[in-house]
Amino acid sequence: MFDFFDQEVLGIIGLTLRMTLTSTAISAVLGIPFGLWLAKTKPNFRATKFLKNLIVSINRTLMGTPPVVVGLVVFLILMRNGPLGSLGWLFTFQAMVIAQVILITPIISGIVYTAANRSIDRIQSFAATMGASKFQTNVLLIRELGNEIFFAVITGFGRAMSEVGAIAIVGGNIRNLTRVMTTTIALDINRGFRDQAILFGIILMIIAFAVQITADLLRKRERRQDENF
Amino acid sequence: MKISNITKKFENFSLDWQQETSFNGKIYGIIGSNGCGKTTFMKIAAGLIEPDGGNIDYEGLKPQDITMIFRKPYMIHDTVYKNLIYPLTLRKIKPNDERIEHYLEMAGLTKMKKQYAPSLSSGEQQKLSFIRAMIFEPKLIFVDEAFSNMDIESVHLFENYILKMQKEEPATWIIISHQLSNIKRVCDQVYFMHNGKPEAHGRADEILHGPQNPNLKRYLHNEILTS
Repeated sequence: MFDFFDQEVLGIIGLTLRMTLTSTAISAVLGIPFGLWLAKTKPNFRATKFLKNLIVSINRTLMGTPPVVVGLVVFLILMRNGPLGSLGWLFTFQAMVIAQVILITPIISGIVYTAANRSIDRIQSFAATMGASKFQTNVLLIRELGNEIFFAVITGFGRAMSEVGAIAIVGGNIRNLTRVMTTTIALDINRGFRDQAILFGIILMIIAFAVQITADLLRKRERRQDENF
Repeated sequence: MKISNITKKFENFSLDWQQETSFNGKIYGIIGSNGCGKTTFMKIAAGLIEPDGGNIDYEGLKPQDITMIFRKPYMIHDTVYKNLIYPLTLRKIKPNDERIEHYLEMAGLTKMKKQYAPSLSSGEQQKLSFIRAMIFEPKLIFVDEAFSNMDIESVHLFENYILKMQKEEPATWIIISHQLSNIKRVCDQVYFMHNGKPEAHGRADEILHGPQNPNLKRYLHNEILTS
């Protein structure tokens, strides 16, 4: 029987949220500036244009990388004989966060780049004609692209929340240590505990919905504050 | 502002302003057919595009003294009021309510000040972008077909405003317009551009009446026929 208030269940939910929020935050810090930088970079020469197109293509490829491949790569890097094996991070929270950051960062930077690429020239020209400094222009860019950036982060969060393949490989699905909701669902199905798997699925959906609603409310409040100047 | 020997090459077009030109304290008009390089020249002069060659001397003017008003102005995703005070916010200047109301009234936007600016009509956006550019009192103003979507009454209102401002606090205006009546009423000097080059220039009445240049003659003939 599924007990929501069971310490293990609460621990799994808590770890899932902690891992997802941590990896989304790190990916946002990396992905948003990278996407904006890519959109702002307008190369003049053929070689630099080619380089930029190559970076965009690589980023797009990484957006669709199969999670198990990322899991495998991170596993190979963090395993005892791997390049970063001495850190001892394999089958830990850190390993799961690293795998998720690798998966989510290209998604966030890709969405930010596509959105910014459409309007960045107009915003920059406008800011320049208003006498804005570089810093003020960047602030305006982030403000004007707020909805798109927000969408990118929420998409990244959703991807992190639903991820199972990579974190199962690098986390190992260890009870009370690296077991999160998605890996628990996969394990429960194998063990025949379908009720528990369904309930974890419902909790996942509720969390995703709650995050979306909270974010929408925050944006609505921000708009109201703007109107009451 | 002094401009000398500006060049810029694109795949199918090149701008070639091979002369030294001073734009000082007057209202200058730039006319010419579509694609002749007016906007490219203006964007280079305003510092928005890097030229391949040549020199622009702003003669002591800072970027904060220069502005450009576009045909399709950018509206910040915010209210009309927030858009209007944006240049003041950048300069950390507290908005003067009386002045703000005066500008809003002039543009007929008083009732819309709490409205979401991108939802305004194109003509209203042009009016807002005009007063937004005026509110920080720039010294060098580029106007790129910024009256094209306004009604005649508003066009006259802004023309009169420019002329009044020019008497009170002279600035340098460089205006691109296909509305020759605009150019005639407002500009002191006019440059005619053809294929990326300035082909003729002189006083507005000289350029618009009895021109010698055959390309200018053809352009004026076509514009008059169209209007």
